[in-house]
Amino acid sequence: MKTPSSLEELVEALRRLPGVGPKSAQRMAYHLLQHDREGAQRLAKSLGEAVERVRHCDKCNNFAEQPLCELCSSTRRDASVLCVVEMPGDVAMMEQAQAYRGLYFVLLGRLSPLDGIGPKEINLDRLVKRATDGEVKEVIIATNFTVEGEATAHYIAEMLTARGLKVTRIARGLPVGGELEHVDSGTLAQSVIERRPVD
Amino acid sequence: MAASQRKLQEPQPAFVLHTYPYRETSLIVEAFTRHHGRIGLLAKGARRPKSALRGTLLAFQPLLIQWGGRGELRGLHSAEWQGGVPQLKGIGLMSGFYLNELLLRFLHRDDPHEGLFDLYAEAVSALATNTRIAATLRRFEKFLLGELGYALTLDTEAGSNNPVDPGASYTYVIEKGPVQIRSGDNPTIELSGKTLIDLSSDNYEDPVTLSQSKLLMRHLVGHYLGSRSLHTRQFLVELQQI
Repeated sequence: MKTPSSLEELVEALRRLPGVGPKSAQRMAYHLLQHDREGAQRLAKSLGEAVERVRHCDKCNNFAEQPLCELCSSTRRDASVLCVVEMPGDVAMMEQAQAYRGLYFVLLGRLSPLDGIGPKEINLDRLVKRATDGEVKEVIIATNFTVEGEATAHYIAEMLTARGLKVTRIARGLPVGGELEHVDSGTLAQSVIERRPVD
Repeated sequence: MAASQRKLQEPQPAFVLHTYPYRETSLIVEAFTRHHGRIGLLAKGARRPKSALRGTLLAFQPLLIQWGGRGELRGLHSAEWQGGVPQLKGIGLMSGFYLNELLLRFLHRDDPHEGLFDLYAEAVSALATNTRIAATLRRFEKFLLGELGYALTLDTEAGSNNPVDPGASYTYVIEKGPVQIRSGDNPTIELSGKTLIDLSSDNYEDPVTLSQSKLLMRHLVGHYLGSRSLHTRQFLVELQQI
């Protein structure tokens, strides 16, 4: 028996999702067509609309439907501080922490010299343009504390301090409410190296 | 066989050279071990939010690791923090990436280089202080080439046993050694005899030695890599263009 070609095409299309192999793709396709045709219509429609409408915000590079995202067009944010993060999910986490009232720039990646991911791949030139628009006074670098995140932070700092901006890096150390007994050695070791005076 | 089985049960000194995400929550780790050389490991669940391996499987940190299985990818059983080296930053970090790229490109899997491992550990500690970086890199490059079987002739002239004259000018012929420059020659590499002698004894106090040996090493590393270029070098070039 030959599989109908549109089914085959659907399986192939689903395989483009990260972590989805041929077996999972087939299971998803059968599920949608057999048990959830309504869900399948909805998925097709929302996917089509999203691809059509979603773009990058002109200012922060995050996903948006308008030229400016909601955050960047808000008048209640402090436009003098810019927080640089790797991924859109990081913006959501920062917002949830409610400690920051400034604006963001989303790199959508990180520098990774060993994988050949350089400044061109992660919009560093756009960041420089954004940070030097005259409004921004301080740039807070909130890239991850991985070796790649650190390399990214270092180069952003070099580029922006050379252009006269104040550049800061979010702190690293023990988690709030953390007990020494349960923290991993790497975090604990670095927290001793980066200790600071008690105010 | 019995000996290697026994070894596998003891934690092994190692460094992480690079990691790649694998599936939803795992990592593929390229590790450089003291007794087994470069090996590939699968660290299951290492990317889970609460995984203890997150703060441990970091590059440039001395670790003790245990693994099992054979074949191209072994399963990582445990990784224990050894400590003593602050996280690399700035130019030290970039230089560390360069060392890792050299090891990833040049070393074959399961080919132990204990002396190189010890020098790597020393180099990483030195890079963590962000001082004397160039000297650390040159010493490592020279030793690496020797380990790979491309040991450099530095203090005697090519084709003879004449000692290099510190006052003369030399070029370097790959696989042969230093050759005195005659008037009319226009070599790509030009080194003073003193640079060659300093390099052979790992003496990098003189800034002229440092700048000349940098060009020599770039030339040699490039030659042995063949047509493949180094990402880390390309990366630095691109960064300077911004």
